[in-house]
Amino acid sequence: MISEQREKKEKLRRGAFYYPRIYLMIITQDIKSKMHYRADFYISTIGMLATNIAGFISFWLIFQSFPSINGWTYYEMLFLYAFSLLALTPVQLFFDNNWALRFNVYSGDFVKYCFRPLNLFFYYISETIDIKGAGQLVFGAGTLVYAWHHLGLEVSVQSMVLLIVALTSASLVMIAMMNAAAATCFWVINSGTVMIFLFRFKDYAKYPMTIYNIGFQIVFSILIPIGFIAYYPSLIYLRAQDVSILTYLSPIIAVLFYYGSYKFWMRGAMKYSGTGS
Amino acid sequence: MGAVIELENITKVFRVLNRHAGLRGTFTDLFSRDYKNLVAVDHVSMSIEEGEMVGYLGPNGAGKSTTIKIMTGILEPTEGKLLVNGRVPYANRTLNAQNIGVVFGQRSQLWWSLPVIESFRILKEMYCIPDKVYKNNMEMFDELVGVSELYNKPVRQMSLGQRTLCDILASFLHDPSVVFLDEPTIGLDVSMKSKIRELISVLNREKKTTVVLTTHDMGDVEALCRRIMIIDHGKLIYDNNIQQLKQFFGSYRTLKILSAGNVSFSEADLAKYGRQLLALCPETRNVVFGSDEEWLTVLVPEDEISLIKVLDHMQTLIPFKDVRIEEITTESVIRKIYEGNCDAKPTLEA
Amino acid sequence: MENRTKKLPFRRYFSITRAGILEMAMFRSSRVIDFVGNMVYMIVVYFLWRAIYASTHTVSVNGMTFIQTLIYLTLAGAIFSTLNNYLVWKMGHDIQSGQISLFFTKPMDFYLREFFYSLGNVATQLVLTFIPTFLVVSILSGWALPMGVNLLIFLPAIFMSLVISFSIDFIVGTICLYSQSIWGINMMKEVIILLLSGATIPLAFFPEAFRNVLMFLPFQAIYNVPLMVLVSNTYTWIDYARALGVQAFWMVILVAGARLFFRSSSRVITVNGG
Repeated sequence: MISEQREKKEKLRRGAFYYPRIYLMIITQDIKSKMHYRADFYISTIGMLATNIAGFISFWLIFQSFPSINGWTYYEMLFLYAFSLLALTPVQLFFDNNWALRFNVYSGDFVKYCFRPLNLFFYYISETIDIKGAGQLVFGAGTLVYAWHHLGLEVSVQSMVLLIVALTSASLVMIAMMNAAAATCFWVINSGTVMIFLFRFKDYAKYPMTIYNIGFQIVFSILIPIGFIAYYPSLIYLRAQDVSILTYLSPIIAVLFYYGSYKFWMRGAMKYSGTGS
Repeated sequence: MGAVIELENITKVFRVLNRHAGLRGTFTDLFSRDYKNLVAVDHVSMSIEEGEMVGYLGPNGAGKSTTIKIMTGILEPTEGKLLVNGRVPYANRTLNAQNIGVVFGQRSQLWWSLPVIESFRILKEMYCIPDKVYKNNMEMFDELVGVSELYNKPVRQMSLGQRTLCDILASFLHDPSVVFLDEPTIGLDVSMKSKIRELISVLNREKKTTVVLTTHDMGDVEALCRRIMIIDHGKLIYDNNIQQLKQFFGSYRTLKILSAGNVSFSEADLAKYGRQLLALCPETRNVVFGSDEEWLTVLVPEDEISLIKVLDHMQTLIPFKDVRIEEITTESVIRKIYEGNCDAKPTLEA
Repeated sequence: MENRTKKLPFRRYFSITRAGILEMAMFRSSRVIDFVGNMVYMIVVYFLWRAIYASTHTVSVNGMTFIQTLIYLTLAGAIFSTLNNYLVWKMGHDIQSGQISLFFTKPMDFYLREFFYSLGNVATQLVLTFIPTFLVVSILSGWALPMGVNLLIFLPAIFMSLVISFSIDFIVGTICLYSQSIWGINMMKEVIILLLSGATIPLAFFPEAFRNVLMFLPFQAIYNVPLMVLVSNTYTWIDYARALGVQAFWMVILVAGARLFFRSSSRVITVNGG
């Protein structure tokens, strides 16, 4: 049989570029087909910007009546806000299909993903790319530049590289949260509530952890780790002398959280289709 | 060559919450811990060789899709052993997936808004199909059904028939050793059905791919399958070739008559028609009368008497308002197997 | 069609409400999560505003003390999750799938049908989510919340909030007839309502000019009005009457607006055939 011989070759031939190549193919096609809907792109982007601007306005309003938040000034808060927006963009752009998960699971369509010879999570997530996230990217970058300038932070190769590392690890945390939330649909029927519930928390990532008592600092560092989406990474820039150990640990913690959420998602997928292992 | 698919005493039991109806019931269910066991598949064993085309029949809820899910590796059985291509499907999902093809009649597995050729290209990468194999297969597909005309059409814009066609082609693209087709001809018109049956038949023959075909359509079964398995209430009640099955139901067709007069038929009426028909034509001794709501049904064994002749005779007995001719349903076949014309008990072995 | 609906026994619509209740009651985990969500929101709001108020040395800012702000925002969040429905999404999907044309073949007023269903949803969430949240807030604030006539008046107030919010959702849902972008439109609606109604930042903190404009918009009738009814210690009968009056005013306008907009838009369906 042809297939048996090819089996052995397949396992070797699937090199490091297997998944990246497929991903690139799929999202290129997805973007192409979405570009046919120009109006939708514009309206969605405006909707996205509306939420971002509303956040901005909220800060502005607070600072109209109050001088600071726990010792944090207006531009420092804007920095945190912009940083969080940038960290929240990858989950918006690349992991959008999580929102469709409960519908696919409920309707039974999800099984079709189980028949392909590749990682289930990868295959499912790669289906959609949400181009309106680009709007948030631009707004977040703009606000960050604005705050960066007003805070007089240094601009160097080192600080840029650090920023990229910080943003990457921060984005993994939100991705992990949404993965876990979406995966609850394998156990709970109305998991949309869970996703919306956790999604609301992204709005709290822009506040410094110092406002909470020690108990809730722990909660927001470990249970619902929004502290890692903006606060801990930003300490390097905003409170350089006061950098918490968690700041240095954030990349590791982020990767662990992401891996944990991935495992949880896969466990749910396996359970749903009935393979308990 | 060893069996491609081998099942031994496969059993699947589901735990289901006992739900109650009504407002009060729903509220009490909020606190309920009352579960019951549902045996979906009950000690099913079978062995399928390379290149076979097997029809897998059964009424809805009989356990068909559960068995298929187990065979394709997405559901783990509660008990029993199974091997597909020499490996345990649910323990090696991706490896197993590399070597099987699956088509669900209604749900396309292709990318919805992409031109179908892009789907094929992505599949080529996904299954690591060598260029040559890909090229040969695409050419073969084009020769068989002219698929190149559809290349630039997004699946979303295709008719059900075109979509099914592409799904089936896609399932054979990577030269799997087994393809599972779940109700491939459902919802299609007659010409599309025969086109699809032809396609499946050729692919099975040329590529020696084993095909497991789940269907409700006896036309599919007759056109394609040499071997039939029937599952009912989780148990495999029949596993034999189609000739044997034909002994059970022959080449029956049902003549349905809507009378301009009667709208219901009693047992006495049916007996009366039986007698009257027999008097007109002695060959109709095995014709069975029944009723289906307002329709009078006449089950005609076509190897004994042609349906047209029966129709002719019936016209003199009953004023016609409307007439239908139907294939025998799988349900009737299964009922007939239970009733057992030849052997008393349903058989399990080939 | 308007005349027929007046003659139709409301029993039919209340069976739809029953279906709405069932839908909410069936998902036990969701109700628990909703409640937990309100609790966590309350906690975050508590810490945030404690820090905000800590930066100033006055107890009351713009007429609101810390406790008042806390109570206000937590209950606003609770109202949000109580009134929450998926009407825009449902309508959007029905429109996109073409299923909406089915509704025109049924002898039921689409607006009323969807409203009574939402009513069932909201009533259930009110009992299972809002009331527990309200009790917790009461207890934690040391029973600072008034428990008297305000509770009675709150009921019609929240009902009218529902009607207003529902009508806005209905209008937004109708917009989906003109555009594919359900998400974008819904997001803009939500952002605008939450911000401009005082639900995320109490209206007291808006600059005076802004605030005056906002008082003239329907959004604060959804959140600010019933909230003030519920938590105010100083409301007199005149204040209650005025609050309900404002709501009634917006209710009438928005219900009429929603129905008219839908009726004229639905010509789009009948002309284009879904």
